[in-house]
Amino acid sequence: MSVAEKKPRVIEPDSLIGKRIRKMDAPEKASGKTRYIHDINLSGQLHGKILRSGRIHALIKSIDTSAARALPGVHVVITAADVPDQRPIGVARDHFPLKVGRVRSERDEIAAVAAETEEIAEAALKLIKVVYEDLPVISDPEEAIKPGAALIHPEPHGADGSHEHLKQGTTIAHKGKPDNVAMTFDYAHGDVVQGEAESDVVVEDTFRLHYVTHCCMGVSGMIAEFDASGNLLMYSNTQVPFLHKREFAEYLNMDPARIRIIQPPIGGGFGSKLDIYPFEVICLYLARAAKRPVKMLFTREEEFLASPTRQPVLLTLRSGCKKDGTLTFRQVHTLHDNGAYTSWGATTPFVMMQTFSSLYRVPHCDYHTAAVYTNNPYAGSFRGYGNLQATFAIEQQMDMLAEKIGMDPLAFRLKNAQESGETTGQGMSFKSCGFQDCLNTAAQRSDYSRKFKENAANRNKPGNIKHGIGMASMLHVGGGAKIYPSDGCGTILKMDDFANVTLITGASEIGQGSETVLSQLVCEELGLPISAITVVNNDTAITPWDVGVHASRTTFIAGNSAIGAAKKAKTKILAVAAKKYECAESDLDLRGGFVIKAASGEVVVELSKLLRNLHFQDKAELVMTTFYYEPPSVHQDKGFKGDVSAAYAWGTQVVEVEIDTDTGLVKMTKVTGAHDVGRVLNRLGIEGQIEGGVVMGQGYALTEELMIENGVMKNPNFRDYKLVTAPEIPEMDIAFIESMDGEGPQGAKGVGEAPAICVAAATANAIANATGIRMFELPFTPEKVYRALHGQTPKLYWKPWRAPE
Amino acid sequence: MSLKHDIEFTLNGVKRSVTVDVTMNALAMLRDVIGLTGTKYGCGEGECGACTIQVDGVSLNSCLMFAVDCDGRNVTTIEGLANDSTADALLDAFVEHGAVQCGFCTPGMIMQADHMVRSECCGDTDSIKRGIEGNLCRCTGYKKIVDAIASVSGAQN
Amino acid sequence: MTEPKRYLAPTSLDQAVECLKDGDVTILAGGTDLTPQSQAGRIKIKNTLMNIRHIPQLSGITLEGKEIRIGALATITEIMTHPLVRQHLPILVEACDHFASDQIRNAATLGGNICNASPAGDTLIPLLVLDACVELASMPESKIYRHCMPLSTFFVGPGKTRRSLCELVTCVRIPLPAENHVARFHKLGTRPALDISTISIGIAGNLKDGMLSNVRVAFGAVAPTPIRASATEKALEGQRLDESTIEKVAGIARDEVKPIDDVRATAWYRKEMIHNITKRILSHVAQA
Repeated sequence: MSVAEKKPRVIEPDSLIGKRIRKMDAPEKASGKTRYIHDINLSGQLHGKILRSGRIHALIKSIDTSAARALPGVHVVITAADVPDQRPIGVARDHFPLKVGRVRSERDEIAAVAAETEEIAEAALKLIKVVYEDLPVISDPEEAIKPGAALIHPEPHGADGSHEHLKQGTTIAHKGKPDNVAMTFDYAHGDVVQGEAESDVVVEDTFRLHYVTHCCMGVSGMIAEFDASGNLLMYSNTQVPFLHKREFAEYLNMDPARIRIIQPPIGGGFGSKLDIYPFEVICLYLARAAKRPVKMLFTREEEFLASPTRQPVLLTLRSGCKKDGTLTFRQVHTLHDNGAYTSWGATTPFVMMQTFSSLYRVPHCDYHTAAVYTNNPYAGSFRGYGNLQATFAIEQQMDMLAEKIGMDPLAFRLKNAQESGETTGQGMSFKSCGFQDCLNTAAQRSDYSRKFKENAANRNKPGNIKHGIGMASMLHVGGGAKIYPSDGCGTILKMDDFANVTLITGASEIGQGSETVLSQLVCEELGLPISAITVVNNDTAITPWDVGVHASRTTFIAGNSAIGAAKKAKTKILAVAAKKYECAESDLDLRGGFVIKAASGEVVVELSKLLRNLHFQDKAELVMTTFYYEPPSVHQDKGFKGDVSAAYAWGTQVVEVEIDTDTGLVKMTKVTGAHDVGRVLNRLGIEGQIEGGVVMGQGYALTEELMIENGVMKNPNFRDYKLVTAPEIPEMDIAFIESMDGEGPQGAKGVGEAPAICVAAATANAIANATGIRMFELPFTPEKVYRALHGQTPKLYWKPWRAPE
Repeated sequence: MSLKHDIEFTLNGVKRSVTVDVTMNALAMLRDVIGLTGTKYGCGEGECGACTIQVDGVSLNSCLMFAVDCDGRNVTTIEGLANDSTADALLDAFVEHGAVQCGFCTPGMIMQADHMVRSECCGDTDSIKRGIEGNLCRCTGYKKIVDAIASVSGAQN
Repeated sequence: MTEPKRYLAPTSLDQAVECLKDGDVTILAGGTDLTPQSQAGRIKIKNTLMNIRHIPQLSGITLEGKEIRIGALATITEIMTHPLVRQHLPILVEACDHFASDQIRNAATLGGNICNASPAGDTLIPLLVLDACVELASMPESKIYRHCMPLSTFFVGPGKTRRSLCELVTCVRIPLPAENHVARFHKLGTRPALDISTISIGIAGNLKDGMLSNVRVAFGAVAPTPIRASATEKALEGQRLDESTIEKVAGIARDEVKPIDDVRATAWYRKEMIHNITKRILSHVAQA
C-alpha cells in the first residue's frame, strides 16, 4: 500500500487497556502441550532422590551407604562427608543442604542418590543405614524460649566458623547464645504509652495463625547439567532467577557467569520459589559428581514435607481508640516459629509491621517479633507474606473497638482510613489511594450495614442456621518493595522487518499472566495488535536482570520497564517517519500497525514497510531498544522507616457466611470485594487473580491446616489437607477502584497478593456477627467453631515476650 | 526382575501394543513408557484429578488404575481430544473465559469437563461444580472454569 | 513395592475361584484403593495379581424375586444411575452421591468398597440399614460353592472382613423395601464429597402412624468398622417419634458410640455430632 493512494485510510482509535485479553499461553496449556519441568527429559539423565531424616531432632552417629552404592543402576550416593566444600544456604546461612552432625526436623536431608531410574534411586535410599541418637524435641516456640531449653543451633553456621549478618542488621543465632532466638525485629513510631493514655477504650487479644502450605499443583523439581567446560545449566522454577544465579555460584564456588538458568513453565508459585532449598543444591552436587544430567522431582508427599510453609504466628495485639472513633495506638508482640532453619518466613515482620503501622491512621505504634528455632518445618514466603496474619488481628480489633464505643463498624473504619496525600508514621507516602472508595464500594454492594444489624438481631432467635457478614481491608505494596539493592527490571525490545515485536524481559511468568500484561502494555504503546508480539522471559543467558516475582511488583515494575523500551522504540520510529515524510514528530502517532497523523488518524505509512525501508537502505538500522526501570522508592532506614514502594494498594472484602450451629459448619456464601488496582489492564487476568486469591484466602480461613505434632506432619496429602474444591466456592462480586497511580504503567498497581490477604479477617468478623462469638485461632473448621459456640474454647492469651538484648 | 505383561489397547484412536510392569499405574505408563506428558502427576492418590483420562467413555484418574487394566479398552488422553467438537469448544471456552492460569490442572479439567458435557449432566452451575469436585485448582478459584464449562453445556444459573 | 509373579485376567467365575484356591492372590477390580495403597507400599501385592473385571457374572444390577442383586463389579456411578436403585433404594443413591469424586465413582466398585471395609465407607452405611447380604463364592473341591452372609456380620476390623483368602465377593443382595419404608443417610463433612466422613449415619425402618418399626441404625467413622447401633435401634423400635423420644434416642446414640481422636476430629465432637445429626434425621422423618 503506498502513501499516494487517492482516499487516505483512517485508523480509528482503539485501546487494549482494560479489555479482556486472552492469556497468550492458554491454548498451549489447555491442550496439554506445554512442557513443565516434569515433562522435560534430557538424554543421559539420571534421577535424583533424597533420603530424609528418620528423626525429628537427633545426632547423626553414622551413615552407611555401601549397600546403596552397590545397587546396580546407582551412579552416585552422597552425604555431607562427600561434599566437604558444602556451604550453608538460606536467608540466614544456617542451613547445610546435606546435614552435618545432626538433624533438626523431619524434612532434613541426610543423603542423596542419582540412579538410572526413579525406582532404582528409591530402592537405593532404602539401603542406606543411618544410626541416630535422639535429642529432646522442641515443637512449641514457647518451649524454645524457656531458660534451659535444648538449643537447636548450638554450632557456628559458616563453613569457616563465622556467622553472617543480614544487611538490615538483625542478629542470627550463633554459638554460645543462651537461647533459640533466630531473629528479632523491633519497630516503633510515636509513643504507645502516650497513645494508650489518650485512649478511651483499649482491647488486648492473642491470635494464633497456623501452618498452611502453597500446594502448587505442579510439584517441585530441578534438572541440572554441567557441560564439558564445567558450565552449569539448570532448569528451575525459581521466581528469582538472577538472585539464584548469584547464590548458586556462591554455593558451588563458581563464577556466576558460568551459570545459566532456564525457567520452564511453572505449575504454580505463590511465593514458594523465592528461596534456595536443599534439594536444589543437592541436585547440583549429584550432577557434579555423576557427570550426567540429574533430574529430581518431588512426590506430593515430599512436596508437603519439604516445601516451605506460610509463617505461623502467635501474636498479642493491644490497640485503642478515643470515644469519637479516632485510633490511638497499636502495640504488637509476636512469636514466630522459625522452624529448624531460617527461610523467608522469618522476615515476614518487614511486611507485618507495615500493616500494623499503616493500615488505617495509627499515630503510635510499637512492634516486636522474636523468630525462634524449633524442630518444626520452616516457613518461607507465601502470597501475602505475613499480611494475612497481621490483618487477621487488626481487623478483628477494629470491629471490637467499634463495638466498645458504640460506633458503626463501617463508619469507624472510614474515619480512620487514609486518603491520597497522606504519609504514614512509617514513612509510606500514599499518592494514589483508593482506600475510602474500597470501603464504601464493598459495603454498598454487599448491603453490609443493613445485614450486619439484621444478623446481630437474629443471633438469639431459634433455629440452628445463623447468617453473618464481616468486613476487612488490606494494605499492601503495589509498586514493588525496595528490599534488595535494586528493585528494578530490565527490558530489551526488538522489532523485525514485519513489525513484529520481541519483548525480552527479566520478569518471569508464574501463571499470573505477566507475559500477557507486558505484551498489552507494549502493543498499546506501539499501536500493534497483541498477535504481533513474542515474549522471551525465561533464560538468564538472554534476559536482562530483574530482582524477581514477589511483592506483587511485576505489573508495575516490569510494566514500566517494558513501556520504557517501547517508548524509546516509538520515539525512534516517529523520528524516522517524520524525517521521511517531512513533518513534525509530534504530528505523528502509531496505531493499528500504521504510522498515522495523530490529529486525523490518517494513515501515513504501514509500520512494517517503514521498518523495512529503514533496514534496507544505505545507512541501515534496526529498531532495538533497552530500558532499565528502577522505581522511585527508597530503602528503609535502620528503623524500618521509608517509602519502600513506589505505590500502595488497598482492598476491602466483605464476607458473608452461613453457619450451622448444630455442626459448626461455616459456609462462605458470598465475597464482595473492592480492590484499588490503580487501573485495570487485562480485565480477564485481573479477575482471575482476584478470584483465585479469594479462594486461597477461603482455604486459609476455613479448611486448610498442616497438622504438625511434635515436629511430625500428620497430613502430608490432599486427603487430609483440605484445599477448597469447586462446590465450596462463594459467590464473588469484585469491583475495581481505578485510582490511576501516577507512577504506575497506564496507572496500574500490583494486585497479585492482595485478594488473599483479608479473607480470614473478614470471615472472623462475619462469624462474630452471626453468633456473637469471636474466634482467635485459624482455621475455622466445624469442630473449632462448634467448640467455641459451646464454651469449650478457653480464651487464648500469650503474655508479650521480647528476646533479651 | 519385575513381572511384565503385554497389553493391547486403543489409545487416542490408534491401536497399540505396550509391554508394562504389572505393578505400574496407568499414569506412569502414559507419561514414562508411551511418552505422552499431557496427563499430569498431581498427587498419585486420586485426590486432585490432574491425571484424569477417559476410558471406555468415562472419566477416571489414571493414577488409580493399573496399566494392565488398559488391556482391550479404549483410552483417551488430552492429546487425543483434538478434532472433537465438544473438546474444541471446551478448549476455546477455557481460553476465552480466562480459565487457565498456570495451566497445570487444565488438561485434567478439560478431560473431566468433556466427559461431563457429553454425559449431559451440567444443567446448572451447581452440577458443574459437583462434576469437577475431584479436580483441584490452586490458581483460578474455579469460577472461570465453571463459566467456561457452562458456556459450552448451555447451563443456566 | 513387592513383585507378583503371576498376572491373571480370568473371564469366568469358575476360572477365578479356581485360581483363588491357594489364597495367595490379590484381587484387582476398580483399582481405586489397591493402586495408591500398593504404590505407596501400604499393601503388598501377593504372588498372583488377579484382575476380575472381565468376569461377566460379577456385573449387573437386577431384580430377582423380592431382592435387588448388585454385582460386585457395579461401579458407584452405575449404582447411583440405575433405575432400580433410584426407584427402590434412594438412600443408596444418596450415599453414592457423596462418594469421592466423579472420576473415582466411575471406576470404584461396590465389591471393592465392601472388601476395603473402611470404618467410614460411604456405601456401607446404607447397605447395613437396608439389611444387605454379601454373597461369596469359592471352589473348595471342584465345584463353585456360594454362600450369603449378612453385611452386619461381615466386618471384623478396619480393612478386615470375614472373607477368607480363597473367596470372592460376587454380589450384594438387598431385600426389596416395603411400601412404607423410609431410609435416611447423612455424611458429615465440609465438602459434598471427596471427603472421608467425620461421621455418617443411616436410619431406616417402616413408618406407620408416626412410629418406626423394624428399625435399623448404622453409624460410620465412630468405631473400627461401620456398626449397627443396637441400643439406639432398641430405643427407637415401636416408639412414637415425638420430641422427647427423639431427644432420648439421640442421647442414647451419643452414649452408644466410642469413637477415637484422629486428624479429622476428636471423639468428643464425633459423639456430639452423632447426637445432633440423629436428632435432625429423626425430626425430618417425623415431619415427613
